[in-house]
Amino acid sequence: MLQALKLLLPALIPSWRFFDEIAPSPRIEFTLLKTDQDIPEHWQEFRRRPPHLSIGCMLKRMVWNPRWNESLFLVSCAERLMANPTEHSAREILKRIQADLEQGGDVDTASYLQFRLVFLSRQGEQLQRDVTFTSPVHKFSEDAVL
Amino acid sequence: MSLDLALRLTEILLGLAFLQQSLEHLHAPKDEQRLFFPRIVLSVLLLLGFYTQWVCLGLVLLGLFILKRFQGPYNGGSDRMSLLILCCVSLVHFMPALRWQEYVFGYLALQLALSYFISGWVKIVNPEWRSGRALQDVFCFSAYPVSESLRGWADRPRLLLLMSWAVMLFELLFPFTLLTQTTLIIGLVIAAIFHFGNALLFGLNRFFWIWLAAYPSILWLQHRIFDAGQIWN
Repeated sequence: MLQALKLLLPALIPSWRFFDEIAPSPRIEFTLLKTDQDIPEHWQEFRRRPPHLSIGCMLKRMVWNPRWNESLFLVSCAERLMANPTEHSAREILKRIQADLEQGGDVDTASYLQFRLVFLSRQGEQLQRDVTFTSPVHKFSEDAVL
Repeated sequence: MSLDLALRLTEILLGLAFLQQSLEHLHAPKDEQRLFFPRIVLSVLLLLGFYTQWVCLGLVLLGLFILKRFQGPYNGGSDRMSLLILCCVSLVHFMPALRWQEYVFGYLALQLALSYFISGWVKIVNPEWRSGRALQDVFCFSAYPVSESLRGWADRPRLLLLMSWAVMLFELLFPFTLLTQTTLIIGLVIAAIFHFGNALLFGLNRFFWIWLAAYPSILWLQHRIFDAGQIWN
């Protein structure tokens, strides 16, 4: 409970420094492997944003936006994983990748899952991609959902 | 606006915002549902004004468990504002004298004004914001634009420069809207439009609803200081 009170303090005395600088932005990528010895070849971005969103859909999201808000939470987890690595952040990301894959039925031939964090930033006029974290290989249904 | 009315309006708006947030968690894993189902019940009780003092206390305790579950806020600034409003409303109910209730509720109003002013200040001292480059970066590579087509806005530097300055000037000038009730209402309408835009473009819907919940406190404070012609005498 002491830890929770410590987490409450920034809410009671907020800093309000919204967007003071545009920091490197994380993307979560994952790969599916048949064995835990496989070398990952193909990384996919997790929850790519749609090419286009209608105004109607944007308005609907004013009251019902769980998936996007969950994705924003995963952005926080990715940032926390870099600033102050904990098992909690990695587990939250892994759990949601696995849930999405299972829901989409994309895990027929794969038994293992790995994810990595790619941070995008601007260097001069160029966009730069830096892989800053690669998770251990996790077996489906054992390590992922804790 | 009296303190009682402002407080009640805050409770109603807070209850609605909590309901919206909590319902979104019902599609989440079971351990999250266990935290947010009681929050839905307490939010309804808060809306109805049923034993508000104890309902608020329950929501604060639940808020601590939620903070622990996610090891911090689930949705950054919107969760922090949620907890700030909730703690202030709870404290008002537990304060023994009117004067202390006014101090606590005034603190919430002050933080609302600061939320705009400080956000504006940290932007205007950054050359990248002054040149419009920072907002270009938001659209170009940040995690916030809700669709790929919105990334195209990064190629409209003049529009983004204009938007950057509009946002910075509005945020910095917000405290001056407190001078009269009319200017404050105009300021709050502009602020709500700003949050609405952020919700549409960046999916920050929770910010919109929870910032609205703090507006009665600043309407009350403006009346208390300027219209009533006295500052806690």
